[in-house]
Amino acid sequence: MRTLVLIVNRLLWFVPTLIGLMVITFTISHIIPADPVAFFAGENATPEQIAALRAEYGFDQPIHVQLWRYFIGVLQGDFGVSLYTQRPIADDLVSRLPATMELTIMAVLVSAVLGIPLGVIAAVYRNSPLDHVLRILTVSGLAIASFWLAILFQLFFAMELGWTPLQGRIDGWGPDKITGFFLIDSVLGDDWESFWSALSHMILPVATLAFPAMATIVRFTRAGVLDAINSNYVLYEQAMGFPRRVIVWKFVLRNALIGTVTQIGLIFGILIAGAVVVEAVFDWPGLGLYAVQSILNSDYNAIMGFTLVSGAIFIVVNLLVDIAHGLIDPRAAG
Amino acid sequence: MTTMTGLGRAGARLLGGAALAVALSFGGATGMAEAKDKFVFANSSAYDTLDPHAIFDVGRVASRLNLYDGLMRWLDNPPVLEPWLAESYTISDDGLTYTFVLREGATFHDGSAIEASDVVYSIERILALKKGAFSLFADVIEPGSTKAPDARTVVFTLTKPSAIFLATVPEIHVVNEELVRANEVDGDWGGAWLSQNGAGSGSFELTRYDPAIGFQAKRFEDHFMGWGEKYFDEIEFRTVVEINSRVLGLLNGDFHGTDGYLPQDQVKRLRESDEVAVDEQESMRIFYSIIHNGREPFDDVNLRKAISYAFDYNAFIEDILSGSVARNPVPLPNNIWGAPAGVEGYTYDLEKAKEYLAKVEGEIPEITLGALAGYGQTEQAAALLQNGLNKIGVKTKIVAEPWAVASAKMRDEQQMYDLLFLWRSTYYADPNNWVGEMYACDQVGARNNSWYCDPEVDKLLMAARVETDQDKRAAAYEAAAKKVMDDAAGVFVYNTKWFGPFNKSVKGVRFSPIGNGQEMRWAYFE
Repeated sequence: MRTLVLIVNRLLWFVPTLIGLMVITFTISHIIPADPVAFFAGENATPEQIAALRAEYGFDQPIHVQLWRYFIGVLQGDFGVSLYTQRPIADDLVSRLPATMELTIMAVLVSAVLGIPLGVIAAVYRNSPLDHVLRILTVSGLAIASFWLAILFQLFFAMELGWTPLQGRIDGWGPDKITGFFLIDSVLGDDWESFWSALSHMILPVATLAFPAMATIVRFTRAGVLDAINSNYVLYEQAMGFPRRVIVWKFVLRNALIGTVTQIGLIFGILIAGAVVVEAVFDWPGLGLYAVQSILNSDYNAIMGFTLVSGAIFIVVNLLVDIAHGLIDPRAAG
Repeated sequence: MTTMTGLGRAGARLLGGAALAVALSFGGATGMAEAKDKFVFANSSAYDTLDPHAIFDVGRVASRLNLYDGLMRWLDNPPVLEPWLAESYTISDDGLTYTFVLREGATFHDGSAIEASDVVYSIERILALKKGAFSLFADVIEPGSTKAPDARTVVFTLTKPSAIFLATVPEIHVVNEELVRANEVDGDWGGAWLSQNGAGSGSFELTRYDPAIGFQAKRFEDHFMGWGEKYFDEIEFRTVVEINSRVLGLLNGDFHGTDGYLPQDQVKRLRESDEVAVDEQESMRIFYSIIHNGREPFDDVNLRKAISYAFDYNAFIEDILSGSVARNPVPLPNNIWGAPAGVEGYTYDLEKAKEYLAKVEGEIPEITLGALAGYGQTEQAAALLQNGLNKIGVKTKIVAEPWAVASAKMRDEQQMYDLLFLWRSTYYADPNNWVGEMYACDQVGARNNSWYCDPEVDKLLMAARVETDQDKRAAAYEAAAKKVMDDAAGVFVYNTKWFGPFNKSVKGVRFSPIGNGQEMRWAYFE
């Protein structure tokens, strides 16, 4: 019941949060001194041509009128039309979303699967050489710029060793579309060549995204485990004769994970933003690459669409985190 | 305080699982396939639409030239205008009527015959959409004025004589009227449909398209121009926005070609590779700085000359660009007809700069040097000019902004920077594309972003726009270019060279400044 109240409460905040996001992004994108129509029309365009296009896309209206029209459109599921692709923004976003989600989910999984145990190890062996090595690794993960790491990975693993593909999402054009997630679609279509190709193309971008995320998870897990490990109940369990592994991996980890789970939710949002850089370097045809191109082109509707979808994903993921939080620690739901 | 050491079996299992997942991932890497029979090009611009009438930029020229045909086509370097879909053409004595006769037997990809009505529909579509190359035709063709008296004859009747009309005809890419009409929605001229489908007759027929990736096309065997002995069966143009990724992809064989305007350090890297050959040609893309001639004190020719003498051309070309470009002192590329020969232009001479500066009356405010953010050369040029102007006591500030911002400011007399470094590319190979548009009075605020309007120059340019004798036109453009240079209306720096990098197995690439070596019908794998 408490969880249900939490979900309803969060959902009630969903709409005003998105509206706030929309108003802020719309205002910022429209007050910068760029003229998307002049840019789109090209340097040869006549003033008449620009004026006609401006009217066609409604950019000749006052900003509050444009915002209102946009708002009404979004309520009806209409995010407008991209100046460049000439297609509805919703179609563009839907076609690119699976690529980004596949990349981001894999990065979160890899960072959690590696980060949580490493965090536990760092805590259990705290101040040992192993902990110091992990500390250097995690500080590096947080400090290294992702575009630099991406290029380094490309040079070493793809160019020098030839172990991984350099860029792209798959050799060729991918398996028959069912969900848009190549790994899932290739399994459903029994197309194992595409599966391995998609998986191999994922290695470097996932590693680039996962490295800083893993660093955060290691740090939070370490702190959480250290906090829990010093609790009286652990002392009690030790006195009760529970095996050490059970104490660490069952009792301590569950309590230590509360902060980590919250972080994973935040990381998911950060990774979607981080995908902008990683997708550009690895030529990954997802939302990030779309956002880069839209920003470079000042394609207002596309920028707005990307921002709203990213915001919605972030909110939903954090809702899921709250639910998970409640399941791990029933006190949180109340 | 409780201390614990050791992980226990559960921890080891967890770690082992993670390690296995990583190993599994790497195991999949061996499945890389390499395309052997398909030409793959990595392009910096996104193919976000395939509609040939919605775009008119150099970055996305490949979709227009490979999937569509026009009546005429620019080929080779220096570019020559050749009949293409048209078999022949005639121009009336008054220069107002252009009659084209189409080749017999030419067909679209769907097998239907290309008829004159398709050409009429195509020009009407351009005029109605007001996108892409619309600006080339807006002043000279009225909607509804183009006729098709029979299936193979197209008659354009211009509103006024235009010597450049023929040069712009290649931009009328012919679409299959019946097919596009069948896909029109709410009077959109088939815009939504054509943005991701093909309706042309080009050398290659669209087979796959994803705006996030690019397009793929197969050879159109029945193309009206026929085929040589060797050719590509399939071509693919992919979007790869990062320069480094394009270069690495070319080096490891993922791509067979990429754009020819890479930074020199990347060109050097490619030249050192055993896999890549770099074809070097002087293109038609001039680099210069606009000076806002309409704003005080830049309306004083002495200040403009002082600025022109304060730029270190030699250091920029030889040191910064490693001699990879050609000095180009006038607002016309060196290699086009009409460019004055033997003109030395301004040199880096601070004494002369001071001399002219002394003649300027009144205070000189801080000068805003505009540059395009993300285009390093423009920022380097602005910094170099800033250095020169500082030495003669002129204060400056550099403002680097994205092209989307700069292109808006360029059209606004008040917002325009005092100076702005940028390039002028080839849209059609006629001197009017450069000096004729950049300094004509009727283009002020549109394509003339210098607010320069000199009666003598304008008279020459207007005469050259209607004169049909090329020798007379060349003389007019030579005189106009010299006068603009004498007036120091801009700082004219260099003409670009194209360094087309292709895999060594690729042969037969024909470079033209309009197509940028991306029309692939003559190329093949050796």
